[in-house]
Amino acid sequence: MRPVEHFSVSETSFHKGSSLRHDELQSIVVDNEHLIRVAFTESTNKGFEALFRIYYQALFSHALRFVYTKEKAEDIVCEVFHDFWKSNSFNSIQITYRAYLYAAVRNRAYSYIRHELKEERSMTSPELSEQVPSAESPQLLIEYDELFQRIESVIHNLPPQCQRIFLLSRFEGKKNHEIATELGLALKTVEAHMARALSDLRKAVLAVGLLFWLVN
Amino acid sequence: MEDIIVKNLLFDYFAGQISPLQKKAIEAWLQNPNNHEQYYQWLHEWELAHLQAPASWQDAFARTQERVSQEAPESQPFLAVSRNPGWWSYYNHKMVAAIVLITLIGASVFGLKGVIFYKTIQVGYGQTQQVKLTDGSLVTLNANSSLRFPRFGFGDGTRTVELTGEADFQVQHSPLNQRFVVVTPKGLQVTVLGTQFTVFARQRRSQITLRTGKVALQMSQTPKSPSIIMKPGDLVTMDNSGKLTRAHTANPEIQSAWKHQRITLDRTSLKEIAAILQENYGFQVEIKDPELANRTATGSFPAHNADEVLDMITELFDINLTRQNNKIVFKD
Repeated sequence: MRPVEHFSVSETSFHKGSSLRHDELQSIVVDNEHLIRVAFTESTNKGFEALFRIYYQALFSHALRFVYTKEKAEDIVCEVFHDFWKSNSFNSIQITYRAYLYAAVRNRAYSYIRHELKEERSMTSPELSEQVPSAESPQLLIEYDELFQRIESVIHNLPPQCQRIFLLSRFEGKKNHEIATELGLALKTVEAHMARALSDLRKAVLAVGLLFWLVN
Repeated sequence: MEDIIVKNLLFDYFAGQISPLQKKAIEAWLQNPNNHEQYYQWLHEWELAHLQAPASWQDAFARTQERVSQEAPESQPFLAVSRNPGWWSYYNHKMVAAIVLITLIGASVFGLKGVIFYKTIQVGYGQTQQVKLTDGSLVTLNANSSLRFPRFGFGDGTRTVELTGEADFQVQHSPLNQRFVVVTPKGLQVTVLGTQFTVFARQRRSQITLRTGKVALQMSQTPKSPSIIMKPGDLVTMDNSGKLTRAHTANPEIQSAWKHQRITLDRTSLKEIAAILQENYGFQVEIKDPELANRTATGSFPAHNADEVLDMITELFDINLTRQNNKIVFKD
């Protein structure tokens, strides 16, 4: 399994060092997919080990852009891998593992955040569509990109204190009263900041939801 | 138009830093499905170059692998024997196999399979009991509750226990991250990702309260639906129609007050108390007046035995009680 390590390392280091030319990079990325396929011929387990090694970190990071919660991003990516494993569809997909996994993670992350912002109080199960569309429309791809950019800009534009509280709450999973103690604020203040952040986020995510589903 | 689509442009696009015209060009380029692979490849490269937070693929892989292997259908009981190669010396291995087989057949004929492979701990009315499982986890069972778990090999794979009634769990983290799952009679399944929580699974309703750590809830009737992840202080209730509602409580300890022989009321109606008396002490309770049934009380009181609880209730609600064996009638 040594060579796999080698390839995935070189792929990552490229972006930091950036001395490889485009065609070289292309071959490395293609080779990654090839290596995963080889690993799958050995065993399903080896195949998934390779998939995780090569794609997990980036998929997790990508999911974070949508949900801004470590635990949820982990869950979303693991669920996608899990379903991919259980459904045996890794044997038969026509696209690269990469394209499949990214599409599935984005789909799930979107469903999750939409559900979370829409129905924070009542709990019915979110309308997760498991299907990864075989041919995604350009609009769909672009809407996903615009969505995570919009979420980022909402958080970016929050007043500093509000942003800080939001990240402590969501990203570090701290409770409101913990944040209040940590920052020396009243609980009510923390709650008000969180409410403001969530309301901004809700506007940004849900406002486009209708259009999104129509396109879908 | 295609030739202006290069990696740098896509990188700028992912970062939200391109002009509307450039975006239009990208949209046109994406019209061709053949370019989608290229798009995802660049998205992946861009993501790798702009990671949001570190993550461990090894942990995620181990967790997913464990979950998949646990879900694979297999007959657990046989594993307990066959996994122990020390038993299979070539002289007597046939004999051992024969004995095991006979035992199994015998057991299933007499319906004792459950008794042989599972241990059940049953707690009677008016008592609580602590159980330490072989993996070090501590379970405190409330009155009129039972816990069933595998006699052999508990902790080798997913640690699954079945609960009827009410119990508080302090789950020991295992070195191999084996999951700890609590299954309740109505198909609500609690998977532990953290440590301390209280499960209430009785006729009236099922309820989970999480004190620390993290648990996932799943209905076994709908294994496909996404699980609900609870955070500390969350309280999830399933009513008889199977509907789940989530609430948050500042004092999750209240739900396990019975562990310390206390009863904690928080605007609790006499009707609810009657249900608790029935569940925990086996009383049959009748309340003469519907208005009385809805009267509520708040507070925390010692509850070492049934008499103490009944005294407390009559005093608290200022009501009269007539008792005949296990039949109780409350009157104004």
